[in-house]
Amino acid sequence: MTVVGEAAGGAVAGGDVPGEAAERAAADEPADPMAGPAADHALLDAMTVGALTWIDGMRPAFRLPAAAATEADPDHALKPLGELAELTHLVRDHHPLPAARGLADGLFRFAWEQTGQGELFAELVRNEPQATYPVELYGVFARAGLHHSGTEELLAVTTSLRHWRVAREDHTRTLGVLNAEHRIGLTPHADFDAVLALTGLGRCAEPWALDRHGVYGITHDVFHVTDWGRAPHRMPTPLAEYLRLWTPAWTETWLEEKLWDLVGELLAVRACLPGAAHDAAAWQRLAGAQRADGAVPETGSVPPDDIAPEDLFLGCYHSTLVTAFAATLARTAAMPPASPAAPFRESETAL
Amino acid sequence: MAEQAQQESTSLSAVVADVATGVALALEGECGSYALSGVLAQDDAVALAAIRVLGADVLAPYALHGGAARGGADETVVRKALAAYPPRADASEVSVWTYRGLVEASRAYLPGGPGGWPPEPPAESEWVRTEPWPRLAHRASQLAALSLPGLAPGLAADLAVRTEDLARGFVRAVRRRDWLQAAGLGRWLARLPDVPETLGLDAGLRYVRRMGDSDARVTLQVTAARRFHGRGA
Repeated sequence: MTVVGEAAGGAVAGGDVPGEAAERAAADEPADPMAGPAADHALLDAMTVGALTWIDGMRPAFRLPAAAATEADPDHALKPLGELAELTHLVRDHHPLPAARGLADGLFRFAWEQTGQGELFAELVRNEPQATYPVELYGVFARAGLHHSGTEELLAVTTSLRHWRVAREDHTRTLGVLNAEHRIGLTPHADFDAVLALTGLGRCAEPWALDRHGVYGITHDVFHVTDWGRAPHRMPTPLAEYLRLWTPAWTETWLEEKLWDLVGELLAVRACLPGAAHDAAAWQRLAGAQRADGAVPETGSVPPDDIAPEDLFLGCYHSTLVTAFAATLARTAAMPPASPAAPFRESETAL
Repeated sequence: MAEQAQQESTSLSAVVADVATGVALALEGECGSYALSGVLAQDDAVALAAIRVLGADVLAPYALHGGAARGGADETVVRKALAAYPPRADASEVSVWTYRGLVEASRAYLPGGPGGWPPEPPAESEWVRTEPWPRLAHRASQLAALSLPGLAPGLAADLAVRTEDLARGFVRAVRRRDWLQAAGLGRWLARLPDVPETLGLDAGLRYVRRMGDSDARVTLQVTAARRFHGRGA
């Protein structure tokens, strides 16, 4: 997502999914009443399906070049593909509407195909054995049960080095790496809780002191802790209370600035908090920023119809994906902490 | 006409700033004995308007030191201000509450004359329960003078129910660099119980004081929060 300094991926958090079918069946259950009577399911569903429909029409823009491992720019090609996979995977597994799940499933499979069924990751690791983004990206697919043995054999070596355990500058990003390691089945290179304690969320930074970059960081801290909304119960109670208190203030602040991708991320965070009120007014305002074709601009007003396709893609793909993701979480708010087939229970140790 | 109005507005802002500075210095205990009549350079319509703008805060030093020792001149000028700018029939709730606060403070801190003080007009507080938090916070910040100890107990009790919302307003105001709104909200929060710990109110008041130190009214609000409620020291 748009955390500054994130190269490819933005992905991550996790565990594997041994029983996708069972998890999906759980998602077919009616939305939990915790979503609140104010949650406008029709609006949320229209936003999700609209966003995914637009994204589906943008497949060519997500397509990687033939020599992706050497020619694809991590920030401009691999990162969008990683976000596509991460967020459609959640929608695919949890949205109650078959239409939304179907679109998301097609897009997730498309993303896996683009990686050559994982072959890309082996090449990326060979090219940049110290880089974290191939690990973060691969973790998205590994969580879905899609493995590539060559990649995992390489990672077993590269991530076993003392060098891999040298502290990185961005603690939020490190949480993402730790989640990826967990998803892949690698030994975590650091203690998750200790790293979390160093982040904006873990420190409970003064809510008025956080600028846009700081709030992006906090949304990603939440996504990594909760496995992108799948495991809200993992959020420590004091941190959930911190988020319950301050997400309305941040959401309002960035609604006023029309920073729609951050608004979407904050609404997703809100949906990860047990018992937090659904912000119907904020959803209405985000819906107002969505074009008739489903695209949501990253910032500002709705882009005109005659905008160049490439500009439209770059200016909308991230916020549009986030909208589908957040609307899915809001639609299924307070979904069971983990479906019967979901991986993480009390026994998990990496998180 | 427009030019004249501009000059009057500028002049009012300047007088408001002068009085706010005088009050803040008095609250800091840096200017000896305080007298409102002493910080007003003149006794004209602009000075009276400035008293109405600042409301109960023009008497704040008396709240700290137990009432005016020599209230004669202050009593006269406050009476003039109340008479010159009563809330009109279509006055905003903020205007009514500010007037009411000045009457309450006069009754509490100034020696009453034979005729007593004007009656306190009824002031609507339904908005405290119904307004969305951004509007609630903005309005409450405009009424920060009523957070003086003992004033407007009903309003304070109503606001206490929405402490979290006022704290969210503080966050939004700081993000918008609206230091005056932030200072007013910080001052209310300093009076109210159960302010969320993670807000960091003391650090927030210090931050707003430094960032907004070009505005005498900001300095007045954060000084009052510290002197009356011990927050932001």
